[in-house]
Parts: sequence; C-alpha cells; structure tokens
Amino acid sequence: MSAQKRRTFKIEAFKHRVEIDPKYAERTWKVLEHAIHEIYNHNASGLSFEELYRNAYNMVLHKYGEKLYSGLVTTMTGHLKEIAKSIEDAQGSLFLEELDRKWGEHNKALQMIRDIMMYMDRTFVPSSGRTPVHDLGLNLWRDNIIHSSKIQSRLLDTLLDLIHRERKGEVINRGLMRNITKMLMDLGPVYQEDFEKPFLEVSASFYSGESQQLIECCDCGEYLRKAEKRLSEETERVSHYLDSGSEVKITSVVEGEMIANHMQRLVHMENSGLVNMLVDDKYEDLARMYNLFRRVTDGLLMIRDVMTLHLRETGRQLVSDPEKLKDPVDFVQHLLDEKDKYDLIISKSFNNDKTFQNALNSSFEYFINLNNRSPEFISLYVDDKLRKGLKGVSEEDVEVVLDKVMMLFRYLQEKDVFEKYYKQHLAKRLLSGKTVSDDAERSMIVKLKTECGYQFTSKLEGMFTDMKTSVDTLQGFYASQHAEIGDGPTLAVQVLTTGSWPTQPSAPCNLPTEIIGICEKFRTYYLGTHTGRRLTWQTNMGTADIKATFGKAQKHELNVSTYQMCILMLFNSVDRLSYKEIEQATEIPASDLKRCLQSLACVKGKNVLRKEPMSKDIAEDDAFYFNDKFTSKFIKVKIGTVAAQKESEPEKQETRQRVEEDRKPQIEAAIVRIMKSRRVLDHNTIVTEVTSQLQSRFLPNPVVIKKRIESLIEREFLERDKADRKLYRYLA
Amino acid sequence: MEEEEAGTMVHTNFYCHLGNWGILKKLEQWFIPISMSPWKLGEKAALQALKANPYVDMIVVDGISLLCTDLQVDPQDIVMLVVSWHMKAATMCEFSRQEFIGGLQSLGIDTIEKFREKLSYMRSELRDDQRFREIYNFSFGWAKEKGQKSLALETAIGMWQLLFAEWHWPLVDHWCQFLQLKHNKAISRDTWSQLLEFAKTIDLQLSNYDEEGAWPYLIDEFVEYLTENGIVQRPQN
Repeated sequence: MSAQKRRTFKIEAFKHRVEIDPKYAERTWKVLEHAIHEIYNHNASGLSFEELYRNAYNMVLHKYGEKLYSGLVTTMTGHLKEIAKSIEDAQGSLFLEELDRKWGEHNKALQMIRDIMMYMDRTFVPSSGRTPVHDLGLNLWRDNIIHSSKIQSRLLDTLLDLIHRERKGEVINRGLMRNITKMLMDLGPVYQEDFEKPFLEVSASFYSGESQQLIECCDCGEYLRKAEKRLSEETERVSHYLDSGSEVKITSVVEGEMIANHMQRLVHMENSGLVNMLVDDKYEDLARMYNLFRRVTDGLLMIRDVMTLHLRETGRQLVSDPEKLKDPVDFVQHLLDEKDKYDLIISKSFNNDKTFQNALNSSFEYFINLNNRSPEFISLYVDDKLRKGLKGVSEEDVEVVLDKVMMLFRYLQEKDVFEKYYKQHLAKRLLSGKTVSDDAERSMIVKLKTECGYQFTSKLEGMFTDMKTSVDTLQGFYASQHAEIGDGPTLAVQVLTTGSWPTQPSAPCNLPTEIIGICEKFRTYYLGTHTGRRLTWQTNMGTADIKATFGKAQKHELNVSTYQMCILMLFNSVDRLSYKEIEQATEIPASDLKRCLQSLACVKGKNVLRKEPMSKDIAEDDAFYFNDKFTSKFIKVKIGTVAAQKESEPEKQETRQRVEEDRKPQIEAAIVRIMKSRRVLDHNTIVTEVTSQLQSRFLPNPVVIKKRIESLIEREFLERDKADRKLYRYLA
Repeated sequence: MEEEEAGTMVHTNFYCHLGNWGILKKLEQWFIPISMSPWKLGEKAALQALKANPYVDMIVVDGISLLCTDLQVDPQDIVMLVVSWHMKAATMCEFSRQEFIGGLQSLGIDTIEKFREKLSYMRSELRDDQRFREIYNFSFGWAKEKGQKSLALETAIGMWQLLFAEWHWPLVDHWCQFLQLKHNKAISRDTWSQLLEFAKTIDLQLSNYDEEGAWPYLIDEFVEYLTENGIVQRPQN
C-alpha cells in the first residue's frame, strides 16, 4: 500500500494589497465618533444604522480595528465622566433617581453602539483578546460612575439609609431600589462587594442594637413575635428589591443577632420563659419558639433540655409529695394528665418532633421509678377503673383508658412488682364479683400479654378459667341435688386452683351448723367428680348474706364476710358472748377476729353488735351483745371490707421481700442461659447481658447478680478461669 | 530410735517394704482401729470405709498427739498442715492408712529421724509462693466438715490466723472482725481462694482495688467496711 498524500487546496488571498490611506481611516472614525456623541445626546434618530455599521466594518477590514476600539473607549469614557458629574450634582433624593435614569440611558446607548460595532465585536475583539463591547460598556460604567470617589460611598450610604428607614417603618421607593440593586448585580461582583457585604454588617449591628433593647422591655412571647416579624420582613425585602441569594444571608444575620445571642435569656426569662409557657399551655408561643429556635444551632436542643429538666423536677415532686400520694388513684390520674398535657404540647407546638417525644418518655421513666410504690399504685388505678370507674363507658373509650395505663406501665422498671399487685387486686375483684366489664378485664390481660409475653399472664388467665369453671361446677351441683336442699341456705362456691391465685391459704375456722350440711354436700359432689384433688375452705375469704330481725321486727339483710357470718350466727343461741368465747367457738385467728369484731361493733351505721366497754379498740376481755336497737335506713347493709386498698407499711415490706425472693431464680436462670451459650465470659459482660435479658420485667441489682454468680460457683455450675480470675467458665 | 523388728504382717505390700523400718512399731501405736476410737469421725466416709474393709484404719486425735510427741512438734504447729498436704489428707485431725503411708512414701520417709528432719524442709515450703498458695487452697477442703460445702466461720478464722502468721497480711485481723460483725455465716470455697488473691495483689491503701474486678461480694463489702470506718483512706482518684 503506498501512502498517497492528499493535496489540500488553498485559496490564496489577492496577492496585491488593497490599501486605504490613513486619512480615510481618520475620516471614517470621525463619523463614528460623531454618531456616538449623538447617541449619548439622544439624537440617534437622525443616524443611519446601515452607514455606521459599514463604516465600522470597513475600519476593521482595513486593519484599523485598534483605532476603532481605542477611540470607542475614549469617547465613551468622556461621556461617562460627564454623566458622573450630573449625578454627583443631584441633590437629596434625586441622586438615586438620576443614577437610575442615566443607567437606563447608558444601556440603551450601549445597545446601539454594540449593534454598530458588531463586526468588530466578532472579529477584532476575540482575536486581539479585548473585552467585548457590551461588557466594556459595563466596566466603564462601573469604573467611572459607581467607583467614582464622589459617588461610591454616597451610593452605599443612600441605599443603607433607605433600608434603615424602611426598617424603622417608613415607606420607601421600592421600585427605584430594585433598579439600583439590579444595576449592581449586572455589574458582576459589585453587588456582593460594594453593597451586600456592608449591608449585612450594618444589618448585624442594627439587629444587635434592636435585640438588646427589646430584650430589656419585652417578655419572651412578645420578643419572639417581634423577631418573627423582623424575619418575615427581611424575606419580603429581599423578594422585592434584593438579590435572592441575599435571603439566606440576611435571615441568618437576624437569627444570629435576635435569637442565637439571646437564647439562654429568653428561655429562662422569669414569668414568661419556656417553663411558664409549658405550665400555662401557651401553644402559639411555644410553636413560635420552636420554629424560631430550630433555625439556629442547638436551639431545639436548648428547648428540649429545659423541658426535660422541668419535667423531671415536677415529676420528682409529684412522686415524693405525701399529699399527692395519699390517694393512689388520684396520683395515677395526675400522671396521666401530665402525660396528656405534654403529648398535646408536642403535637400542637413542637411538630410531633420525635426527639421531644423521646425526651418526654425518658423523663417519665425517670421519675415514675423514683417512687417504688408506683407499680402498686398503677395497679390500684386499674382496679378502681375496672371496679367502677369505667361503668357505662363505651368500648372505645375503655380501650383509650387502658391504653393510657399501658403506656405508664411501659415506663415501669419493676414490672414484676406490678404483676404481683395486679394479681392480688384482680383476685379480689373476681372473687367479690365486683368487675364492671368482663370484656374490659380481658382486654387488659391481652394488652399485658402483648407487652410482656404469655408467661406474664398465664396465671391471670388461670384465674378467669377457675371462675368460669366454678359456675359450671355449681350448676352441676345444684342439678344433682334436686329437692334435697329445700329451704336451706344457698351456697355459691368458687373453686380456686392453688398456684394460680395469689391468696395465702389458711386453716379454715369453724363454720356455723346451719351451713355445714350443704358445704359437705358440695365437697362430696366435687370430689366425686374430681378424684385425686384436695379441697380446703378458704374461710378468710368469701361473703355471706344473712337475714336479721332486730327489735321492733325490723328486718335487714346483712352482707358480711365469712368470718363475720361465723361470729353473728353464734348470737342465734345466746345474747351475750365474751371475746374469748367467740374466739374459742369460731377459731378465727386473733388479728382477723379483732378486725371483724371492730367492723361489727364499732362502726356507726353498721353496729349490729354492741360492745362493752364502748371503746374503739377490741380488748380480750370485751363482751359483745346482739344490738337489738340497730337501725339503718337501708334494708341491705354491707359490712364486710372487700375493696383493694393500698398496703400498710408491713404488708408492703412483705410483698417486696417476696418479689426479691422471686427474682433470685430468674437471675440465676438468666446467668445459666447466657453462660451455657457463651461458655466463657467476664464479669461485667455477664452483668450487662443479664440486665438486658431481664429488663422487660425488672432492673436487677448488680450486687444481687454477683451473689447469684457466687452461689452458682458453689453449686459447681460455674468456675473461675484459672488464668484470669475475672473470667467465668460454664461447667457442663 | 526403735529396733528393727521382723514380723508377720497380715496385709499389703506396704508392710513388706516397711518391714525393716522402725516406723513399723510406731504405726501400730498411731493407728487405732475404728471400733476402738472414742472420737467421732467424719460420719459417712468412715462408716462406709468400715463396711467395705474392716481393716481400714485411721489415725485420729490420740494418734496424732502421739505422732506429734514423737516428732517433737506441737500439734497446733502449722507444719502439721504441710504434712497433711503432702499426705493429701481429706480432713483435718485424721489420716487414713492410705493417706499416711502414701504420704510417707512420697516424702521418702522411713525413719522417725528422717521425718523430723523433713519437718524443717516442710516449714521452708511455706516460704515458696506457689506452694503456699497450694497449701492455702488445700486447707479449705481439709478444714471443713465432711459433707459440707462451706467452711464454718470459726474454723476459717482460726485457719486464717494460722496461715497469715506465715505469710504476713496486715489486714487479717480486720478481715476476721468484719466477718464476725457483718457476716456470721460459713465461708464459701470461692471466697476463701479469692481472699488470698486479694491479699497478694491489692495494696494496703486499696488504691488498686477495682470495684468492677469481679471480687466476691464479701470482699466488696469488706472494702466498704474498711473505708466507712476510716481504717483505710483510699486515695481520691
């Protein structure tokens, strides 16, 4: 393959030169110069565009582009200097107007000149590296007008003064402002350097001054309203006559001066600060504060921290105030009200901000657990609601109340203590038949199960089952008895499975002869259908309805506890009994006996027995009489005490001890589970893992965990590592 | 020194070896058959052994006093603990025939004189860190009642007094006082062995005591006791 060169054809210019003589160039230039003068003197109408264009074209063509260009520069400069003078001479408000007018004229002139010089613009200018005509015109304007010593500072001062006056409330000529700033923007970096920078500085000191003033005389809400107003003013200002890029800069100046610099003082302002707003539910003010503070660094953090501190303090006071703790139901209602209040604030004013929700939750968790009776009280609250508080309430509203309670429950660290009390209270409700709605009870159990797993609720469910089964058993019993019962007392039995119920089994007392018969019949019936079981009458529970006839043939129906029934029935055969005699006959334990006698003899309106002496307390040598003179406006008189109450101090200690005992095996089981899977672990990791495994029920004490570990070492489930004494090893 | 005495013996190989040894006579004296023992032994172990082999003998308290007399040593002397350790004795105040003879063999003792000489060697063993630790840990199992998991407090205190007389630990008296005041219960094996580690590694100002150091809770409480009562001033960190 031979490389054949391609021949490129060239068209050569004429070899001969077409010269024009310099005089011709000078003449041509003069024509153009004259035209420029005319243009600047508003006499352009008499000019011929075609002729001027041709002239400019010829000059460039004949290599006189340099002359043309420099001539243009000189001529324009000359005119601009004149213009500068006329602007400088303008007085007062005419200054800006003159500047604006001349700018407009200059632009028009520039346009025409550029059109005329278009050929030069396209050929000579790029090849010689000069500034194009339009930009040249702008630069010359900038250098001769804007940066003229007599105009530069006066311009800036005028603009800033107008803005200041507008900020003070005066109305200014926004259109004019707009034109001026637009002119500055057209001149490249002039806007930023010559105007915006000083504008921002001046604004900063303006707002610094204003905020100092306002903070001395306004309360927090007022101040924030004013700050908000200023911010929206500035935004509006920008949209009307400033460059849009200035918006974020000026707003951040206002935010910095008015908000960031005074955040602390605002939040903590006495009588009007954040805490006051929270206490008084000032939703609008709070929302305003939230929206303003979120614009500055750590603004929301400050609000959140102050809110948290306040919550924790009020919460702490609430849970340690003995007045508020007197009535557990009230106490819990207070907690719920407080939660509702803050939920509303967060939703109305804080935009449902999750970080605020979290702060609320952690504060509640903190102070609810400061009082170790919280689990008991919450259970009492539920008890009150399920016993009577929710009577007549719609199903949906019941759910709402129970869900709110569950939310408090979730804050509890000692959920196992709650479980213990809930069981006790539930048992009392079930056995006394005093529950407002079976559905509500079940709903609560389901919620607990969802939260804590089935183990938590399996025994509770067992209690419900027992109640239901008892109904069936009783029906079967009566069906089997037919006529044999006749006029005897009616018996209602609840058969409780030991282990499901929290009640302490106790030895039965002596039942009255009147009912022994039917009790035995029931026992026979039950054991007949359930072999291998043992039944024990729990006489420390149960109730009886007794018909009593008093003096003047007044009949009443007394509702009493089983113990009280045993006592009263004794008075069918005698009128007087001593304490000792009653004790002997009934074999009721002493402390229970005293309590029963007290409620039968010492309570006004319920004193079906009369005591001698008439003292308030029961002494062992007291004597009791049937109170013939008993009266009551009610036919049915209730004497037994069945409702759940908050525990006395010794009862509370006992319950707590039982809870501590129950926790030991749970901790051990957790330790064994963890060690079985991890084989070797150091002490601190075990403590962390155990705590995390058990936290849904309670917070284990690290000292207790340590003791359990040592116990497991002793029983040879674990051993210490031979090399590192801080490690434990699982022994298979 | 006793005269050698050949004799016909009933049982084991031991006797063939021991035949010419003067110790033989002593063995007869020291060993008291169970049926003659006025002292109650560790119940189950001894009874079972009796059932199994009526010829199993034990040296118990009387025998031990005799032994100590012959060795010219006080029965309360800590060297007897070291002897027990060598013999791998299961319980204090008694040696089974197996333990005793096995121990003598491993120590290479065939005369009373040699036994006496070995005593000073055994005393010196207490100076060795590793051996002391082994003896210390051994003494827990040795001192406690058979069948119990823990060591009775009084016995433990006695042992500690004995042991820490050899390897001096200045806090031992406070420790014992603390236990009597606040604990008053038996001591677990873990607590026993960890105490030595504590005594050896933690300085007397408790400056290197670490609350997170996985020490038994009794030791944590002891540290609290010392600081609360101003017995030790811990340096502020």
